Amino acid sequence: MTSLTIEDFNRCVEDIVNISDKLMDGWKLQQNEGLENGKYIVKKEQKVLPLEQEGSTNFLLIFEYHVAFNISYGVPVLCFNVWKQDGSILTIEQFWKANKKFKDSNMHDTLTQMDHPVLRRPFLTLHPCRTHEIMEPFLERSKNPVVSWLSVVGPFVHLNLTEEYVKICSS
Amino acid sequence: MSSNLSYVQISSCVNPSFWNKLSELKLDVYKLDVSQQRIWGYYTVINSLSCPITVMEVDSTSFNREFSAHNHLLPFQGWILNTNTIEQFKECDKAELINSEGQKLYQKIKDGDVFENTSLLNTFFVLSFADLKRFHYYYWFAFPVPRHVVVEKVHECDLENVFSLEEVETLNSAYMNLNHCQKAYFIVKKRFGKVLEVHTVASVLKTITSEDIDDYYFAFHNISYDRCAVGSIFRNYIAFILYYCDFLQNRTANFISFNLSRVGSQITCKKSIVYKLKLPTKTKDFYTSWVGWEKNERDKMGPKLANMKNTLDPSVIAENAVDLNLKLMKWNLLPSVDLEKIRKTKCLLLGAGTLGCSVARTLLGWGIREITFVDNSTVSFSNPVRQSLFTYQDSVDMKPKSKAAADNLKNIFPGVNSVGHQMTIPMPGHSVGESMLEQTKQSVEKLTQLIKEHDVIFLLLDSRESRWLPTLIASVENKILINAALGFDSYLVMRHGIHNKNYANEAARHPEGYKVIPGNNLACYFCCDVTAPGDSLKGRTLDQQCTVTRPGVSQIAGALAVELSISVLQHKHGVFAPAYYTTSQTVPTQELTVSDDSVLGLVPHSIRGFLSSFEHILPATEKYKNCVACSDLIIKEYKEKQMEFLLNVFNSSKHLEDVALLTELFKETDFGEVLEFSDEDFST
Ligand SMILES: [Zn+2]
Repeated sequence: MTSLTIEDFNRCVEDIVNISDKLMDGWKLQQNEGLENGKYIVKKEQKVLPLEQEGSTNFLLIFEYHVAFNISYGVPVLCFNVWKQDGSILTIEQFWKANKKFKDSNMHDTLTQMDHPVLRRPFLTLHPCRTHEIMEPFLERSKNPVVSWLSVVGPFVHLNLTEEYVKICSS
Repeated sequence: MSSNLSYVQISSCVNPSFWNKLSELKLDVYKLDVSQQRIWGYYTVINSLSCPITVMEVDSTSFNREFSAHNHLLPFQGWILNTNTIEQFKECDKAELINSEGQKLYQKIKDGDVFENTSLLNTFFVLSFADLKRFHYYYWFAFPVPRHVVVEKVHECDLENVFSLEEVETLNSAYMNLNHCQKAYFIVKKRFGKVLEVHTVASVLKTITSEDIDDYYFAFHNISYDRCAVGSIFRNYIAFILYYCDFLQNRTANFISFNLSRVGSQITCKKSIVYKLKLPTKTKDFYTSWVGWEKNERDKMGPKLANMKNTLDPSVIAENAVDLNLKLMKWNLLPSVDLEKIRKTKCLLLGAGTLGCSVARTLLGWGIREITFVDNSTVSFSNPVRQSLFTYQDSVDMKPKSKAAADNLKNIFPGVNSVGHQMTIPMPGHSVGESMLEQTKQSVEKLTQLIKEHDVIFLLLDSRESRWLPTLIASVENKILINAALGFDSYLVMRHGIHNKNYANEAARHPEGYKVIPGNNLACYFCCDVTAPGDSLKGRTLDQQCTVTRPGVSQIAGALAVELSISVLQHKHGVFAPAYYTTSQTVPTQELTVSDDSVLGLVPHSIRGFLSSFEHILPATEKYKNCVACSDLIIKEYKEKQMEFLLNVFNSSKHLEDVALLTELFKETDFGEVLEFSDEDFST
């Protein structure tokens, strides 16, 4: 069974940042020197979404996405925090309410709250237990399995990669 | 058909890390200093498709000396005035404040600082008050601009209609090469028949004359999403241009409302707009009257409040994380578990030794928030390794166990409300002398009060005698009581019945092959044990004060005690939950499964475990009519005589045997037979 090594992961996220720099897309590489899996990438995006508990009016929300490497699962994780204009962070329940996609029964398995693999603080996280399953077909086929995986799971949490990223998977 | 240019204000957006950093600086650096601090803001140069509002963000890097540049961000330069009190925040004169901010910008225009860094025209100000105890932040952003700048739109058309494709390309790449300090405002020169040039404002503004003005385009990065409007800070650009090009008053000039967008992998300025604008005349107060306070969420001119308690207060974060863990269990595995009921349950732990520590920690895991300890001893040097709430230092300090346990529990989880009472529980056979009379009475009252105030009572004491009084009171008060006792390598965890008989006759569903005992009719610790406590007739392996136990025994028994209590709480009938059991005479024909009555499965009466074989058995026993602690005889006497009865018992445990009519029974029966009978009840 093949899996993604930390080195593979680091190379993949560095590729993402390089493309992003050309596209001015905002991905930044962060590094925590003391850790084996210290590299992760971060991007912020503004969205306007309705928040149910506040009268369904649209709210400007800032999404901060992190892609980091989870050593115990041996897979990348996509985690994020969402906050309102005053800086208050949405709870996982508020986020679920604002996201009809997660209304189905397995929403708790799919999107949960976990500690960030590097920052060790709670983040909303796409649960990593199925990541390997999703990634496996990409490990051999794709030049950048992280991008391939991200383009599959990202849309669940409003993260859409432009096709410029997807292009590098096959080139 | 000319009209005036309309403006939109950029919208402030505070990242949580900004408040965090502000609090840190307030505590460690600024302290009571209320001088203004320079900060950075930034906005994204490429319009996002998913959000039609441009925001200026501040975060923890806002306090850095240098702007943390990134190719997709442009800076705003500003100041924060963080007041020490809410009164200062309210009372400070907002009109004066923004005028003085405007004056500062005017000074930078006059002094020529803006030439070095045109992004100085993108200025902002924050007035704030940080209530650090409550994690409340009152704040008000302003984007100062001169009040009287009315600009007439004479002509507008798309960039592509003014410049050739090649020229747009030149403009694009020249823009990319500009320093980030010059990207917000720059000048394009295009003379007929000549190549398009991109200049910094510094290099050409002062050379422009009334004669060649038509060759120039004043470019500005437009922060407005609405193509019909420009960002309000554009007015600062006008103020700047008019300061150095006085001749432009009441005249027209070319402007490029610069807009970057992403087309495929290309970043292009194709969507920019070219304006011919008629600039205003400088009125007397042109540079002295400033506006720009931001409206709040109610669309009023007023401050905003960020309540960051959930986001920044570590104790709240811990509490939410603990709750979320439990909610995930509910959502994923046990949809019908009632977490709110558990959360509201008040637990009284009688005994803060090995069992008490283990029970308390497991209760925390279940989200219990109210835990009270009663114990009479202090932490000794041998305790910390086995009693998981204590440390070596507690033994050095000889802290009372009840207090040490309550304090340390709060260190583990600040969300818990834990209290310790140092107190000895009065015991049968422990005579009360004259001097101790008052204190004993007080102890009885206090214990009674505590049992009444709590929902679940855990009996985790290290002697048999001390369990008697709480057993009696809890039975009378109809409380859930969970009892745990330890032997060297064995343990007993059980729930007691209660005095209330109302429920006893309701027929519980009766799976074939099982016997059933209604919850209220279950035996107490003493039912199975016919002699009165305090009378060591026979050596026992369980529950001796000096018993040495295998270290894991208390952890196992403590955990089981909590799980048993939670199962009772979650059972439809609570303390009345029936206990099923099998005997050698009955052969079960079906497996007992989780029913609607109990989401967590079966609720046994008792669990006896033996580490020598790593086995559990689940015996169930009915109340004993002559029980010294829970029988009707005893309770009737207690209810009638109260303290008088108790004092008699404390002075002689023989009194219990009299009241429970055991004395008579002993006369009639061979003592050995009684013991045999009680042993059989424990077999499965
Ligand atoms: Zn009893």
